[in-house]
Amino acid sequence: MRTKEKISARQFTILVILYTIGTPILIIPAALASIAKQDGWIASALGLLIGLALTKLYVSVGRLPGQRPLFATIEHVLGKWLGKVVIAALVFFCLVTASEVLFYVGNFMTTQIMQSTPVQAFNIMFALVVVMAIYMGIETLARSAELLFPVFVLLIVILALFVTPQIHIERLQPVMETSMKSLVWATMYYTSVFSMTSFLLLSVFPSDIDQPQAAVKGFYQGITIAGIALLLIIVLCITVLGPDMTARQTYPSYALAKKINVGHFLQRIEIVMAIMWFITIFYRLCFYFYGAVLGLQQLFNLKEYRPVVLPLGMLFVALSLVVHPNVMHSSEYEENAWVPFIATFCFFLPLVLLGVHAIRKKK
Amino acid sequence: MKEKKEKQPQTSSQNLKEQALKEKSIMASLPDNLELIRQQLGNSSDIVIRQVGLPGEIAWAVVYTDGLADKQLVSEFILESAMLHDRVKEESKHDPASISPQLLASNVLAIGETKEISNFGQLFTSLLSGESVVLVDGHAAAITAGTRGWRDRGISETLTETVVRGPKEAFTETLRTNTAMIRRKIKDPNLWLETRQIGRVTGTEVSVMFIKGIAEDKVVEEVRIRLERIDIDGILESGYIEELIQDETYTPFPTIYNSERPDVVAAELLEGKIAILVDGTPMVLIVPALFVSFLHSAEDYYHRFDISTLIRILRYIGVFIALFGPSLYVAITTYHQEMIPTQLLYSLAAQREGIPFPAFIEAIMMEVAFEILREAGLRMPRSIGPAVSIVGTLVIGQAAVEAGIISAAMVIVVSTTAIASFVFPSYSLANTMRMLRFPLMGLAATFGLYGIIIGTFAIVLHVSSLRSFGVPYMGPFAPLIISDQKDAIFRMPHWAQVTRPKLMNRNNKRRQQKPASAKPKP
Repeated sequence: MRTKEKISARQFTILVILYTIGTPILIIPAALASIAKQDGWIASALGLLIGLALTKLYVSVGRLPGQRPLFATIEHVLGKWLGKVVIAALVFFCLVTASEVLFYVGNFMTTQIMQSTPVQAFNIMFALVVVMAIYMGIETLARSAELLFPVFVLLIVILALFVTPQIHIERLQPVMETSMKSLVWATMYYTSVFSMTSFLLLSVFPSDIDQPQAAVKGFYQGITIAGIALLLIIVLCITVLGPDMTARQTYPSYALAKKINVGHFLQRIEIVMAIMWFITIFYRLCFYFYGAVLGLQQLFNLKEYRPVVLPLGMLFVALSLVVHPNVMHSSEYEENAWVPFIATFCFFLPLVLLGVHAIRKKK
Repeated sequence: MKEKKEKQPQTSSQNLKEQALKEKSIMASLPDNLELIRQQLGNSSDIVIRQVGLPGEIAWAVVYTDGLADKQLVSEFILESAMLHDRVKEESKHDPASISPQLLASNVLAIGETKEISNFGQLFTSLLSGESVVLVDGHAAAITAGTRGWRDRGISETLTETVVRGPKEAFTETLRTNTAMIRRKIKDPNLWLETRQIGRVTGTEVSVMFIKGIAEDKVVEEVRIRLERIDIDGILESGYIEELIQDETYTPFPTIYNSERPDVVAAELLEGKIAILVDGTPMVLIVPALFVSFLHSAEDYYHRFDISTLIRILRYIGVFIALFGPSLYVAITTYHQEMIPTQLLYSLAAQREGIPFPAFIEAIMMEVAFEILREAGLRMPRSIGPAVSIVGTLVIGQAAVEAGIISAAMVIVVSTTAIASFVFPSYSLANTMRMLRFPLMGLAATFGLYGIIIGTFAIVLHVSSLRSFGVPYMGPFAPLIISDQKDAIFRMPHWAQVTRPKLMNRNNKRRQQKPASAKPKP
């Protein structure tokens, strides 16, 4: 019999990095540039600091006595009935958000690269590998992350190096031109996509990690490295494309990669650069999906989560096709519904968990 | 872990009879014994039964298999010593009963290796593996004498794993020669050898070799358990064993390493791995196997470390090309033309102008043609080799391009891929790349680079889930082990390789003492 799967602290750090960079690497520069213009990078830097503070919150939820995985903690702290209701809601959140990310993959492929292929094909293909990954378990997922991480690092370094000739640093000026209000809003939005989502990492932290102490350090390290990588991408987008161009693009990083031109020979390699965000999106998707799967397992007290993986995977493909009828709907959703939606689950829920735990302990 | 059904109880009467015969003890009467042997072996003409003794004297017999036993040994050191031995002559006149098989073994037979046996199962096993059996009338026991000596191929140069620098010898088909070749390299009492017979009909000898104290006891135990589980009629090559004991059957990746070089086996034993030698084949299995070991050649350790490292990196590039070469070409020319520099794009387009097929069909045609050529090259009689290769090069290389069926660029891509798949020191990994190339080409033709990326994710996930005898297959990359990187992509100088690979060894880690002083001073 296989013993319980454990991952190492280093593997966890790599997963944190890839997961946190996730979708934001592709879309966040546009959102920040449209809200805060050339000051978008300030929002990103502030977001990193807030992200570290949030990480502290999540770590303390993860290290509640017993060190249970996320869904067991919820049920333990909130009691059986309320716990189940919250878990059901969280499963819904995970599934919808996962479908939304998958929608982005399909949308990116059909609008930018292969216009005449039906979007269903892309979504099914991507969902298949996600289902495969979750089916094989967290240990395999962590090992594959170790194999793909060097590829990611190589690509981001190539991207950063090859666009440097086209940097116009004056595009960052004037600094702090935008109003305080839009800067705060930009920071909030950035936080919602960048660091709040790492709450879902509690499904493996710290219960599935063999050195929980080192994993705490790894959590902070991972968030910091991911934050710096995103900051780099945002600064590059603004300085190379300019804030207006960045804001107008749906996928500014892709537009950034199109700018690569080395001696009129190495050019238009944006599809190779796209591998970079396929890797990060893959891990983000895996964790959303894993969250939904584990939530269902806890909800119905299943011994083994694998039987629900395939049905849930089908559901998730179907959902990705209907979650946003078009891009306008998605940007509307991102602007108005997303921040309160995620804040409910990934900001207020941990606070409630900590609060209820403190009150119950006093009694 | 593999689950296997309990052994089926042997119910058929045939099996019962065989079982009874195996356990039947040797009778006291010599004629009865010889009759039983004759009857059981169907009077086979290669079984020689030599009876000795005049009427009234002590009667005894030597039984051996012609061709497996060394006739000179039998006649000089069994027949001659016993027939001319003074005491035997003397005693057989006075007290024939005092000449026991034990006495023969201890005082008379001038043979190094003797063993006393008591039942027919052992008797037949010894007899049919080349030993001589000595039976004495009036005694319910027999002596086997080690007279094995048959014709074999002799040690020759390795054909599949050639090196420029380093030993050239390769294993042979005889198990004993092979174990001796390893012993010659490792003269340590801790080099242990466990032999068992596997195969109900063939009774093939299978030896497990490991260095006690370096190899993990748990892995050795696991190998024993898995070999014990095998219940098959015949083992003709180590491939049988490989398929019966590997962790995962449904994978294109080899999870057991094989080699025909004694120096490779010795090096792996020193790293704590376990060798499984099978009689009748020069291919020795080594477990646990890591993905990286399939890309390591014995020569890497004999050349200077700098060139070895560079050549290893070259091999990884070879893996990349062998796996992705044609699929990248198909994806880029079909979907991502913008990536190709304009000048090259013009010339590619001009080449492809007259070609009636899409790039994918072209690639599949070429790949299949190449695979056919390759297979034909292996199977055809040696004497018609040149004819086939001329037809192959002319038809596929030139005529196909001139006839406008295939573009010249495709020929370049396919041949580069083909050559790249020969840079692996291990043939089994080349097969893996061969198999995975085709699905990747299909993905590239339908989804372009996106398909290749998805396919790569699937491959990466699959290899990450593999284990070989409990050891993660992609180690030391996933899980990442920094100290083992000294001998993975890089090959550090020998003085820097102080410890054994961590994945394999938990108790005996050190290779050399005092690492600081081991570094040569200028």
